[in-house]
Amino acid sequence: MSKGSLSKLIETLSERLLTERREYLATLIETSSSLILALLAGGIVLAVLGYDPLNVYNILFRYGFGNITYLLDKSTPLMMTGLAFAIPLIAGLFNIGGESQLYIGAFIALLAAYYTHSHVIGILAGTIAGGLLGAFIGILRVYRGINEVISSIMVNWIFFYLIIYLISGVYYNPERPHESIPIPKDARIYPISNISVIFAIAVLASILYYIILFHTDIGYKMRVTGLSTASAKYAGFNPDLSMIYSMLLGGAAAGLGGALLVLGMTYSIDDMLSAVYGLGFTGIGIGLLGRLHPIGIILASIFFSGLLIGGQWVELKTGAPPELADTLIGVIVIALAIPYVYKLLVSRLIQRRVIE
Amino acid sequence: MLPEPIIEMENIIKIYPDGVVALKGVDLTIWKGEIHAILGENGAGKTTLMRILYGEIKPTSGAIKINGEEVDFHGPWDAIKRGIGMVYQHFTLIPTFTVLENLHLSLLALDESIKAEDVETLTRRLMDELGLKIPLYDVVEDLPIGVQQRVEIIKTLLRKANILILDEPTSVLTPIEVEELFKMLRKLKKLGITIIFITHKLREVKAISDRVTIMRRGKVVATLYTSKVSEEELARLTVDIDLTSKPKIRGGIRGRRILSINDLWVRDERGLDAVKGVSLELYEGEILGLAGVQGNGQKELIEAIVGIRRAYRGSIKYLDQDITSLSVGDRYKLGISYVPDSRNIGLVYGMNLTENSILTNLHNYLSGIRVINWSEAYRTADKIVREYNVVAPSLRSPIQYLSGGNQQKVMVGREATREPKVFIVSEPTHGLDVRATRFIRNMLVKLRDLGKSILLVSTDLDEIMELSNRIAVIYGGRIMSVGDKNEYTIKKLGLLMGGIHEQRITK
Repeated sequence: MSKGSLSKLIETLSERLLTERREYLATLIETSSSLILALLAGGIVLAVLGYDPLNVYNILFRYGFGNITYLLDKSTPLMMTGLAFAIPLIAGLFNIGGESQLYIGAFIALLAAYYTHSHVIGILAGTIAGGLLGAFIGILRVYRGINEVISSIMVNWIFFYLIIYLISGVYYNPERPHESIPIPKDARIYPISNISVIFAIAVLASILYYIILFHTDIGYKMRVTGLSTASAKYAGFNPDLSMIYSMLLGGAAAGLGGALLVLGMTYSIDDMLSAVYGLGFTGIGIGLLGRLHPIGIILASIFFSGLLIGGQWVELKTGAPPELADTLIGVIVIALAIPYVYKLLVSRLIQRRVIE
Repeated sequence: MLPEPIIEMENIIKIYPDGVVALKGVDLTIWKGEIHAILGENGAGKTTLMRILYGEIKPTSGAIKINGEEVDFHGPWDAIKRGIGMVYQHFTLIPTFTVLENLHLSLLALDESIKAEDVETLTRRLMDELGLKIPLYDVVEDLPIGVQQRVEIIKTLLRKANILILDEPTSVLTPIEVEELFKMLRKLKKLGITIIFITHKLREVKAISDRVTIMRRGKVVATLYTSKVSEEELARLTVDIDLTSKPKIRGGIRGRRILSINDLWVRDERGLDAVKGVSLELYEGEILGLAGVQGNGQKELIEAIVGIRRAYRGSIKYLDQDITSLSVGDRYKLGISYVPDSRNIGLVYGMNLTENSILTNLHNYLSGIRVINWSEAYRTADKIVREYNVVAPSLRSPIQYLSGGNQQKVMVGREATREPKVFIVSEPTHGLDVRATRFIRNMLVKLRDLGKSILLVSTDLDEIMELSNRIAVIYGGRIMSVGDKNEYTIKKLGLLMGGIHEQRITK
């Protein structure tokens, strides 16, 4: 790179920082003040319940963010379900179905890896399965006018019981009947010298989503659709198609999350689905915490899993009930997300009222 | 008997936070028991004035007296207590509730303990008094619009309103429903209720009102007895005839016929015919002004030309190609462009200036694998900013941070930079200050001189007269008249826009 173009690059970057500094600054102030408020609110809850807030926070953050490999492993499926919620919302849809899209991704990846002994095929199969399930909900919304929240919730339960049936009745492990058939050893994904490979794959996927959103016509059309359907129609885009794409991409993210989880962490699914249950719902919080931005979601998922891990240590060390840690995490996440979610809901609801 | 004033509004000024002056010192006196029409074009300030009277917005300065007593409203609830009721153009009923449930709901705001049976008795008594019937147990959304409007009026009367404000009540009604409404209003007048009737239709003013106040650009032009003015005089007073800047129309070299619309029929959102058999032709190197009062089918017509809306009958030809069934994108690619009347549609709030400058031309910024070439997009945005004097902090500024005039320049500039052959612009200078207006109008003339075809849709007759080579007038979804600009005067346009046929004018 020549000296001229380098200085030009610096110039544009600094110009960008200057012109957008108001927004960056606002976001920074908003986030840090929310975090302080969140910790204060959580501290009050702890103090009222008779725990020492400083001690609890010390355990929460020290142990939560202590084991990096575990932390990143744990944040992998959450990052993906965060995207599964965020991408459709960018196009204006509430995808509550990250849950079932993750189940199906995990289960199909398990079957594919079991029969082919290939993690690559497992990942692809899981991703496609999640994407198709997401697209199905999008298609119902667009062509049948079925509210995606309602169909998502119903589909979640259908797949919850269907997969429990399949694992306990068909694909169970004869040696351990409460578990599914395992991922063959040669298809498992292991960390390479303590670096979480599944996390790296998830980060790559997030970057890919970032590129799709901000550097391709598909993403551009989805964003226009989410901000204003009338503008999308005016520009000659098909808002219906954008919505279906967003659900396809969102579902694929959750499916990938499920595949990575089963191929790289659990290696099988138990017949109560306790390994996969709830990850999709948690993704809603991650998506909002990450401000619907793929890069923000990477950070949010790490932060959130740190809290989850630390929360378990709090239970262990202080003898507090698990609900305490959950409450604390809930308070922190809500306080962090509230300003953004409020703005988002107001604008999206107004937009929806205008169309319908 | 001397008339007794019931409402006196004195020197009302309203300046919005963004600096737009909506009302420039308005005086209005309404007499007890009269039907008082308020007439004016869009943006004259009629609705703003009424919303101030209804307590919905606060005036910047000025006084309001009701029955001689000065009032200070903090919200519509204060106005309701004073006996003022308002019926909006868009109804405020809950569509899935029955009529009775809606009425009950509105009364609950005044009396929390009121029972459904009480509401029913009250309503039946009121309906007997008025001699009209509405089905109390029907769900609102199943009722015709005219009946829904009656429910709205009953609603305000149940709240003991003796001053009724109707905001463009006929704009949603069919002609028969309008007759029914007028019958009802006359009956209300007999019962001593004062009615304020906002409209921009001359004929309605003549048909229903006792007195009329004419507003123009935030000022009252005159208050007159309706029986003492003719429709022509009303038209002249309504339309600004202060044409200080004379139109500078060079003949324009009319070229090939580029667009021909033949017997086009288009429906609106409610499934009613909005465009009823329109035929129009557009030539290269001309500006065809389409004049009409808002809501007479202009929007549906241009949306059908652009392809956003389907025409269910008729055809649109571009040069020799039938484009009636082409998609919006394909029509844009052929060389049609469209600047909508609302920046809310033509721009995407939440996206930045650069993102907005490729909205209608996205396919030109894609490389092989559907990746957007942002540096190219920045070049375009930069070009628009420089050529159209857009004042913006940076090319990455969110579009909503720009002023209205600059937003408009971005939107118009984007379409012009695409170098289209056909340029459809709707209200291109609506809400802009003098300088931005001048700029945009000059730009349209420049494009015309370059041989582009421009279809200018505007409710601003000055604009139509200043810019057009030919003029078409639309009323009720039909073209009332098409002809050379010289054949029209502002007065004649005003009458045509009000639905009065040429034969009657010449008589």
